[in-house]
Amino acid sequence: MPLRAARVGRVGVIGAPVAKAAVVASAVSPGPSPIAKAAVVGAAVTPGRRRRI
Amino acid sequence: MSEQDVSTLGPVDFLVIEFPAGHQNFTGEIAEELLALVAAGTIRVIDAIILTKDEDGNVDAAELADAGELGELVELEAELAELLAAEDVANLANAMDPGSVAGVLVYENLWAAPFASAARRAGGQLIANGRIPIQAIIASLEADDALETTGA
Repeated sequence: MPLRAARVGRVGVIGAPVAKAAVVASAVSPGPSPIAKAAVVGAAVTPGRRRRI
Repeated sequence: MSEQDVSTLGPVDFLVIEFPAGHQNFTGEIAEELLALVAAGTIRVIDAIILTKDEDGNVDAAELADAGELGELVELEAELAELLAAEDVANLANAMDPGSVAGVLVYENLWAAPFASAARRAGGQLIANGRIPIQAIIASLEADDALETTGA
């Protein structure tokens, strides 16, 4: 199934090969447990958390 | 896509969502959620194509209209602007694994448009933006925990 003719011969908008992003699910799975890890991440972005500098 | 003043345009993003071989379970839920985002005025879908990469790495690109029964997506498909050019296909498909299918979405973040316009009117210029990967947040928290534990 080819793309429509309107797409052919035009300059693209993406510009460069896209690299595969790390899959979030695999990053959340290692460690104590995926649920525990997700809870920690959730806590990190909870309103009111203050940065320590 | 109707003509629009560039100063009122929201940021435009793209997504490539890969469905690896053997992990494709299409129930219509994705279309439902996408349509909900559009109906809520959160995003406007500018373009959508479907990519298939075979085991040899050959890529086939198809229009959303050629994807079979579109259901409620028909209305959305009629509004697409066909922004992506054929030369974008190889660049986008570079991220895919062989044997997978991917949906590519280009969309305007309508929710951000008024804020972006206000920032522009105030003389602001966007000089950086990006997404913080969950992995980076986890790494930061773990490093934080280690610091607290060791007191270093």
